[in-house]
Amino acid sequence: MGKATVIPFGPQHPVLPEPLHLDLVVEDETVVEAIPQIGFVHRGLEKLVETRDYNQFIYVAERICGICAFGHSMGYAETVERLMGVEIPERAECLRVIWHELSRVHSHILWMGLAADAFGFESLFMHCWRLRERVLDIFEKTTGGRVIFSVVKVGGVVRDIDEGQLAEIKRVLEGIKDDYSQIMNAFLKDTSVKNRTVGVGFVSHEDALSMSMVGPFARASNVNYDVRMLGNGGYGRLSDFKPVLDTQGDCYARVKVRALEVLQSIDIIEEMIAQLPSGDIAVSVKGSPADGAEAANLVEQPRGECYYYARGNGTKNLERMRMRTPTSQNLAGMTTALSGCDLADVNMIVLTIDPCISCTER
Amino acid sequence: MTLETEFVPLCIEELPALAAEKKAEGARFVQLLAVNAEEGVDLIYTFMRDGVLTNHEIKGVGPSTVVPSITDQFLAAFVFENEVHDLFGVSISDIAIDFGGNFYALAQKEPMTIISPEQKAAREKARKLAAAKAAKERQPAARAAQAEYLAGHPDAHPGKPRGPIEPSGSDDLDARLAGVDPEKVARVKAALAAKAKKASETAAGNAELEKKLAGMDPEKAAKVRAAMEAKARREPSATEKEGE
Repeated sequence: MGKATVIPFGPQHPVLPEPLHLDLVVEDETVVEAIPQIGFVHRGLEKLVETRDYNQFIYVAERICGICAFGHSMGYAETVERLMGVEIPERAECLRVIWHELSRVHSHILWMGLAADAFGFESLFMHCWRLRERVLDIFEKTTGGRVIFSVVKVGGVVRDIDEGQLAEIKRVLEGIKDDYSQIMNAFLKDTSVKNRTVGVGFVSHEDALSMSMVGPFARASNVNYDVRMLGNGGYGRLSDFKPVLDTQGDCYARVKVRALEVLQSIDIIEEMIAQLPSGDIAVSVKGSPADGAEAANLVEQPRGECYYYARGNGTKNLERMRMRTPTSQNLAGMTTALSGCDLADVNMIVLTIDPCISCTER
Repeated sequence: MTLETEFVPLCIEELPALAAEKKAEGARFVQLLAVNAEEGVDLIYTFMRDGVLTNHEIKGVGPSTVVPSITDQFLAAFVFENEVHDLFGVSISDIAIDFGGNFYALAQKEPMTIISPEQKAAREKARKLAAAKAAKERQPAARAAQAEYLAGHPDAHPGKPRGPIEPSGSDDLDARLAGVDPEKVARVKAALAAKAKKASETAAGNAELEKKLAGMDPEKAAKVRAAMEAKARREPSATEKEGE
């Protein structure tokens, strides 16, 4: 066994789309310990709630992250609605589910492209991102935006999706399914890909539970938890929802869980479209949250459970708004997954956690 | 199963035992957050089990208070404990992975605790406006309650105008001044006597003036009266000046 050496990994690294620093303690080529550090892109967005009223802050919330934009605006709106005791129309709940699941599809396909790039399969990366563009086209047609949509408001949504657009979404998703199955095969059946993922970065079921891991990272270690199974909002209308699980706990299992979740999300969208109720898309919300009133909420973002907290102070501004994002919760699990791995596998393991540093630091 | 949330108060001393209990019963650590409040920093620890999200609140943690870490039970809390230290200045002891204030690379120390005077004034103004609005909204209800009361109590006369307050008699004054310093009593009585004398002199002067005016040409008398009334309006009387 060689002498212990500390290798700095990031914040600028080809495999990292966002700045994350790791101090890797290595002995020969084996990582003994990994110590994460963040704080390079902290923007103080939670603090902005003191100078933006609760309706304006929704546009700040969706700018926390470019990939989870819709999820953050939905999570924030739901939390304020809980705080003020507002019930939104059923159609608005279902429209939120459709856009949120479309966000999950584009986020997972984006991630699969990045993973392909990380293990050196550049053409697969290109195929993934080309497929993702078709989902972004749906966003552009239904909301007017490709990254930031601004369709959620406290009390519902600001835009409806008409029958013609719903039929178009179904048609595009059917087409995506065919192309996506080929990409999925490459990830799950290709030998060179499996060589990089099978048995790498193992996290046991017990460790996943004790580290309070969330999202596909936890579900790949057979943690049976997904916020959608609680049936919040429009998810309560789903006939049957079961989280996608795997028992292997390695990088391959994480790829597999995310790959299958894309198909699951497409099924959810189709089910929602089939039973979309008619009616209003928003209710009028007046007044301010009461002084000292508190509300907490959970949303299943593409990367896992996201926790929202709001406290009122009797004015249009909230006293406090808090988003605990899935990556913050998974940093402890990431250090566990990295312990004992080969130095060459670090980038693969870090990517399979799908870290979102913009969300984490806000 | 639906998401249920609850908020439960907690003392700092109970925190280690709570963390051990949550670990033993298989609850999941969800997060730790801080809220900057008037009395200090509020800490909220969240755990989840069987679809119930329980938020345990520690109120008003002061700058000198040291909060024990729960990373011995839930390692995932190290991110949040470092965050609460770096952004809110809360001291937390024995964090499993302690960055010693360098978890966030910040230009400002404890940025989340800073409230500018302008912000504070704006909040105070907003609170007052909200209170005034609430009071205004309560008025119709109060009027309706009064009308209902009057309908059931015909003898009540809430709208009857009050007449002038009659001056108290000397007996009443003696009773009110009983037990007061005698020197002060003498001064009060002398002031009252001087006031009464001046009032009687003014009354006598007015009677004499009326007598003179009665003997004058009526047109001239009317001009004199108008001039005197105008003068009285310009100059407040001596009694009014005293009152001020």
